[in-house]
Amino acid sequence: MKRKGSILPTAVIVVLLIAPYSGISGYLVRFLAIIFLWIGKTGCWNIVAGYTGYIDFGPVAYFGIGSYATALLMAKAHIPFLYSILVSGAITALIALPIALPTLRLRGAYFGIATLAFAEAVKQIILEFDRTVGVQFFEGPHGITLPIGPGNVYFYYVGFGIMIAVIGITYWTEGSKFGYALRAIREAEQAAELSGVNTSREKTKAYVISAFFLGIIGGVEAYWLTYITPHMVFDVLITIQMVVMALLGGIGTLLGPAIGATFLTIIYELLHRDFPYTYAIIVGFIIVIVVLLMPSGIVGTLKQKGIAQR
Amino acid sequence: MLIIEGKNLTKYFGALLAVHSVDFSVERGEILGIIGPNGAGKSTLFNMIVGVYEPDRGQVIFKGKDVSGWKPHRICRMGIAKTSQIVQPFIRMSVFENVLVGGLHGKGLSLSKASQEAEKILDRVGLGGLKEMPAGSITVPDRKRLELARGLATGAEVILLDENMAGLNPTEIEGALKLLREIQNQGKTLIVVEHIMRAVMAISDRIMVLNHGETIAEGTPAEVANDEKVIEAYLGGKACFA
Amino acid sequence: MLLFLQSLLNGILLGGIYAAYSAGFSLIFGVMGVINIFHGEMVMLGAFITYWIFTLFHIDPFLTIPFSIISLFIFGYLIQRFVINRVVEAPPMISYILTFGIHLIIAYTALWIWTADFRTVTTSYSGMNADISGIIIPYARLATFGLALIVVAGLYLLLYKTDIGRAIQATAQDKEIARLMGVNVKQIYAITFGIGAAITAVAGSLISTYFIIFPQMGLPYTIIAFCVVVLGGMGYIPGALWGGLILGVVQSLTATYLNAGLSGAITFILLFIMLVVRPSGIVGKGIVE
Repeated sequence: MKRKGSILPTAVIVVLLIAPYSGISGYLVRFLAIIFLWIGKTGCWNIVAGYTGYIDFGPVAYFGIGSYATALLMAKAHIPFLYSILVSGAITALIALPIALPTLRLRGAYFGIATLAFAEAVKQIILEFDRTVGVQFFEGPHGITLPIGPGNVYFYYVGFGIMIAVIGITYWTEGSKFGYALRAIREAEQAAELSGVNTSREKTKAYVISAFFLGIIGGVEAYWLTYITPHMVFDVLITIQMVVMALLGGIGTLLGPAIGATFLTIIYELLHRDFPYTYAIIVGFIIVIVVLLMPSGIVGTLKQKGIAQR
Repeated sequence: MLIIEGKNLTKYFGALLAVHSVDFSVERGEILGIIGPNGAGKSTLFNMIVGVYEPDRGQVIFKGKDVSGWKPHRICRMGIAKTSQIVQPFIRMSVFENVLVGGLHGKGLSLSKASQEAEKILDRVGLGGLKEMPAGSITVPDRKRLELARGLATGAEVILLDENMAGLNPTEIEGALKLLREIQNQGKTLIVVEHIMRAVMAISDRIMVLNHGETIAEGTPAEVANDEKVIEAYLGGKACFA
Repeated sequence: MLLFLQSLLNGILLGGIYAAYSAGFSLIFGVMGVINIFHGEMVMLGAFITYWIFTLFHIDPFLTIPFSIISLFIFGYLIQRFVINRVVEAPPMISYILTFGIHLIIAYTALWIWTADFRTVTTSYSGMNADISGIIIPYARLATFGLALIVVAGLYLLLYKTDIGRAIQATAQDKEIARLMGVNVKQIYAITFGIGAAITAVAGSLISTYFIIFPQMGLPYTIIAFCVVVLGGMGYIPGALWGGLILGVVQSLTATYLNAGLSGAITFILLFIMLVVRPSGIVGKGIVE
């Protein structure tokens, strides 16, 4: 059973690793890279929402902060890409820490609203900062232009690496003491606390880890896009998609984000050019259907029927 | 030797005085029963001991240390565990995993050690056969035993049981009492809040009676059973209860 | 000084509107614990009903209000009865996610059908103002403010002086007991949602007379409603007035003395701080989980 279990993932990884050099089109390379990054983003959201049960509606804040950190480091301080994204991750994590402490004390929907408010506040601040303080730093609505980056194949591998990192962290969490703490918090927080789980510390750890990787991903996408504005990188639609992808695939499962992200990105590719509004409407319907009929998502429902193991 | 004591414990909820200057002390290895009508402040007292509420006045002293107002997880790691009146299992986790959490985070054991311990504890409380079942799918009496098992797994020396026997039938109550005596024999100290009179009377070494947040009587079960104030609090007049 | 008074007055008038369309949000949460993310869409729908009736049939916007009320009451009733009611018993965040989905469906369908064009409702009296020693008060806004107060007062009377209102309150406090006393809880939930939708639609209709309307206008209104209601206390109807006025005045003063863009930032920062520091609202009567 164990051997069977590790052949399929290894095969998939090998295939994905050699794919760009096996003659597939540049379009497909780019498409896959986009999926990898969505799996990464959704996976980050899943670490908090899926395992602690705290449904965050502001993860885009950290994505955007990472984007801006990288953009500023690369465009204004001329720091190379790989250092920039690591520093961005660290900056994002450092910002996430003081936000985590007060917000994670809130329950349920209040936590959702607070995180949403935080994300929107950050967006507005970056938009208005320069004008209010009288400097030229964030460049407000004008946006920041980064140095031109390498081609899609480069970002394919960077995206791939990040996706593996996020899935890896999730996998490690699931089987660890930390993972048990998070799940206990999700199921019955007070009971967890009474059983010795330092709930605020464990929740904060999950939140900061998630923010760290979101910051890195934000930096990667900023470099790839070459030009960012607050509206682009703090777009609430990014949060919505993370949530839906995780919901659809299965919140709190290892591969749920991967399945949901793949599914939704395919739909997006098929629809968004010719029917941009239809995509959003379909996402809305997916949410409604999943919530009413399939709350554990695809992976969760399969598990319940005894079909899937993870 | 005193293992845990409370001094002058007081708690307000807004203008409501839920617990008023309550003192208690428990010797290591003792079973203290706490009884009193509904709303007497028993659960609030328990919650103050484990840190869910911070006392407005007074202290909780455990093994000579003042643990008043400590966060619940620290108090748990110090050695005090509590079962809840309304059971709170980790519903989607298995019975085994529920107990595992106690060992991992209450006692601080490694995954392998905590797993071994969890197996043993589950057998001891009689839930060994259910260990793979999701905690949400077992019966309420089993969930109560699970709460106790989880508490034991944390390595607690003092276990507070908040109406752990409510809803059990007489056979189950006998089983529960037997289990509690075994736990006492292993050196644990128990504080038991119960409404089932004959159970509390049977198991407790000493009993404390609360009413309207205050201690109205203390002593051996026999002394308390005959205390007029206690009888009046429960029945509003002279009667006897066994 | 004049500038300050003008700014203050603008803020108060704005606050009244905020209160009007936030009261419904508070009501729905207070009674059934549902956080309605498509709340802003009901403002939008009310606004568009008024727009279309005005544009196609040349009926005065204020006279279209009964249509708004009825349409959105039915809409709210049906959506609660057949969709939202299934998740009322679930944790609030499930209804949060569900209503998020419904928000997307409504907003983007509207966008699809009506296109993203901005629209206005311009009447003969649209630009007319009262001028009281230098302070300008647009008639349209004043009428809206007045109507807003009537709506909130009406809601309050409904809840406290009518049988239905008392049934709603009973259900809000303890639905099991209400059920035992013969209240049809499902029906009450649906009616409550309908009422919440209807009064929000009234606000939307009024707003169309002096704000630009467009299909995606909903989400910012929802967020403002959050802010108002958290400030005033979730589920506490009179609190919507306090919250609305405070927010309106803060936004107005910020726009006047700092810059307009910052008022958006202030709204969110204020919301965040309130949630973290005092989730039960300024007066402390809000429902906190």
